[in-house]
Amino acid sequence: MSITKAFFASLLSVLLLIAPAYALDGNKLLKEIDRNLNPESYELYRKLINIEPDGKKKEFTLFSIKKGTDKVAAVFLAPPSEKGRSTLRLGDNMWLNIPNVGKPIRITSLQSVVGGVFNNADILNLDYTSEYDVESVTETGGMYLLILKAKTKNVAYDRLKMWADKAKKIPTKIECRTEADMLIKTLYFKDVKDFGGGIVRPAVTETDSPLHKGYKSVMIAAQVKKRTFKDEVFTLTFMPNLESLR
Amino acid sequence: MKTIYSGSPGRRNPLLKIYTLGLAFLCLALWTVPAASGEETSYTFDLSEIEKKPWHWGGYIEFKPVLFGLDRDAAFHKLRLYDDPQGDTLMEWNGRLQLEGSYETGMLRLYAKANTDLKETYSGFTERSAFYEAYATIKPSSSLKIDLGKKTSKWGKGYAWNPVAFADRPKDPDEPEAGMEGYIAVSADYIKSFDGPLKTFSFTPLLLPVYNHVNEDFGNRDKVNFAGKFYFLLYDTDIDLMFMTGGSRPDRYGIDFSRNITTNFEIHGEWAYLRHTRKTVLTAAGAPQQSESNARSWLVGIRHLTAFDLTTIIEYYHNGTGYNKDELTRYYDAVHNAYATYITTGSAAPLAAARRLADTGYGRFSAGKDYVYVRLIQKEPFDILYFTPALTAMINFHDKSASLTPEILYTGFTNWEIRLRTGFLMGSRGTEFGDKQNDCRVELRVGYYF
Repeated sequence: MSITKAFFASLLSVLLLIAPAYALDGNKLLKEIDRNLNPESYELYRKLINIEPDGKKKEFTLFSIKKGTDKVAAVFLAPPSEKGRSTLRLGDNMWLNIPNVGKPIRITSLQSVVGGVFNNADILNLDYTSEYDVESVTETGGMYLLILKAKTKNVAYDRLKMWADKAKKIPTKIECRTEADMLIKTLYFKDVKDFGGGIVRPAVTETDSPLHKGYKSVMIAAQVKKRTFKDEVFTLTFMPNLESLR
Repeated sequence: MKTIYSGSPGRRNPLLKIYTLGLAFLCLALWTVPAASGEETSYTFDLSEIEKKPWHWGGYIEFKPVLFGLDRDAAFHKLRLYDDPQGDTLMEWNGRLQLEGSYETGMLRLYAKANTDLKETYSGFTERSAFYEAYATIKPSSSLKIDLGKKTSKWGKGYAWNPVAFADRPKDPDEPEAGMEGYIAVSADYIKSFDGPLKTFSFTPLLLPVYNHVNEDFGNRDKVNFAGKFYFLLYDTDIDLMFMTGGSRPDRYGIDFSRNITTNFEIHGEWAYLRHTRKTVLTAAGAPQQSESNARSWLVGIRHLTAFDLTTIIEYYHNGTGYNKDELTRYYDAVHNAYATYITTGSAAPLAAARRLADTGYGRFSAGKDYVYVRLIQKEPFDILYFTPALTAMINFHDKSASLTPEILYTGFTNWEIRLRTGFLMGSRGTEFGDKQNDCRVELRVGYYF
């Protein structure tokens, strides 16, 4: 083997060794970001505001709970027209229970139970590590830029570009893109706040979309608490009783 | 197709009024620029907004004028309006008030929902008030819950029909999302979760007594009926097995399922087996005759969402206790003959007999055997937030008669719901939708939640 061949072989070996190490770091970093955003199991009060181009607003208040990697549920507390509506997500399965209609009906991640720019996947969000693999991580100034690829076709967005604060390890901006790299929406994380219990995270998530020009939706977290739940509360049968967990 | 109403100019006034009223509401909803400015906002979320109180109350108030375009030659027009003809149109003013309240302490929760319906029509003013639901819930743990009182059970996966909803009143396929009155019962929910292909199991036993003044419209009296539902979330598929026995109604068993094939495509189905069910049929000789048989009712359906937010619901319903084309035609012919007798002799007895038959089956929702239901809902077209047009078609598969219902819904004002809907019935004489009382209708519904 010539010296040149030996040099390139060594370089290739080093690159091959480094690449998985970067991927591994990326997934580890994403896990840290997940934990900094929310505890693995928690309860959360949120207000969703849909803002139209003319400034007109519509507000919704929700109580949400999450357990582990694949269980999320939420119940609407306000306005009166939505009160009692509840949603449940078990992995890729999602249901909506409307008190008058009765039985829970299956819904999809791309629909929106509140209208506006947030869809069901945004409202019933799981950990990013549950749905995405890290393709690459780069450092730009005080930011990490993570490129995430959906693990399955059932995930709402095929690809995410996530900018995260290097020091705090929490996202500041996420672009949600299709497989063809079309931008569907952008999420902006703002107003980092101490919620107590060691939870320091953005209190406000704003979103806009080139598909809905001029429209904006905002999600405000008021109270995030670590809390564990029995698996039985994440069931269709329990959906009408979610508010009793408050 | 039936001739759609075209009345005299004077008669058209109510129709124009409803259209004008509805369009005025919608224009107001869609085009009114709110007082709020578009300036950059700082967001607030006051913790007092989420403070949990032991009690809660709320309600819903609705105003719904409806204008019917009558079909004077239809069997059901002759049956219902033979002695009080109304011309080409019929105006109906409806109001609804629903009040609900709950109180929760520890493992106990009390809940009640009262409903009052008001109606002003050609025959006068009517008012009906009832508790739709009033029950106590005891929840010793998240795995067990016991309900005692009047409650709707809401079994089944179908959108327009639920043949397996053994402990509920029949749904109106024209308003499948409307609240319904429940029955007095004792029921429980036991839930268990697992890891693996079977993620959830739950069992819902239910005791439904039928006595004087207790569920007396459910079926045979002085009986206690026992029903149950087993639910499984197995391989990402919702599956329910249900039964009911006890004597007030024929024993019945059923199964339903629902599954997402892809994230935007869902399939569902129901199948019910009813033993020794009875049906009153008008024979060829013109006499009512009761027959007994085992009936199978079933439904299959899909729900699909496109990338541009068009939801399509399609269902095929086989009603095992329904009437086939010949049975329905024979009944409509009998009504026409009874009306002819009334005109020539003045005797309303044959029409009264036909009305009794309507009450026992011929006049109920979905009296036929097989139906196709299609509903298309386009959410927020042209970027108009909270604006939802929809088109619904229901077709009697055997006689090919149909109803077609276009509607527009606006929910942009917090707690308000404004819906303008029209309906057209199509079919020749002797068919289900062709022999309904009306040819068409225009309806405005303005609802407010508080």
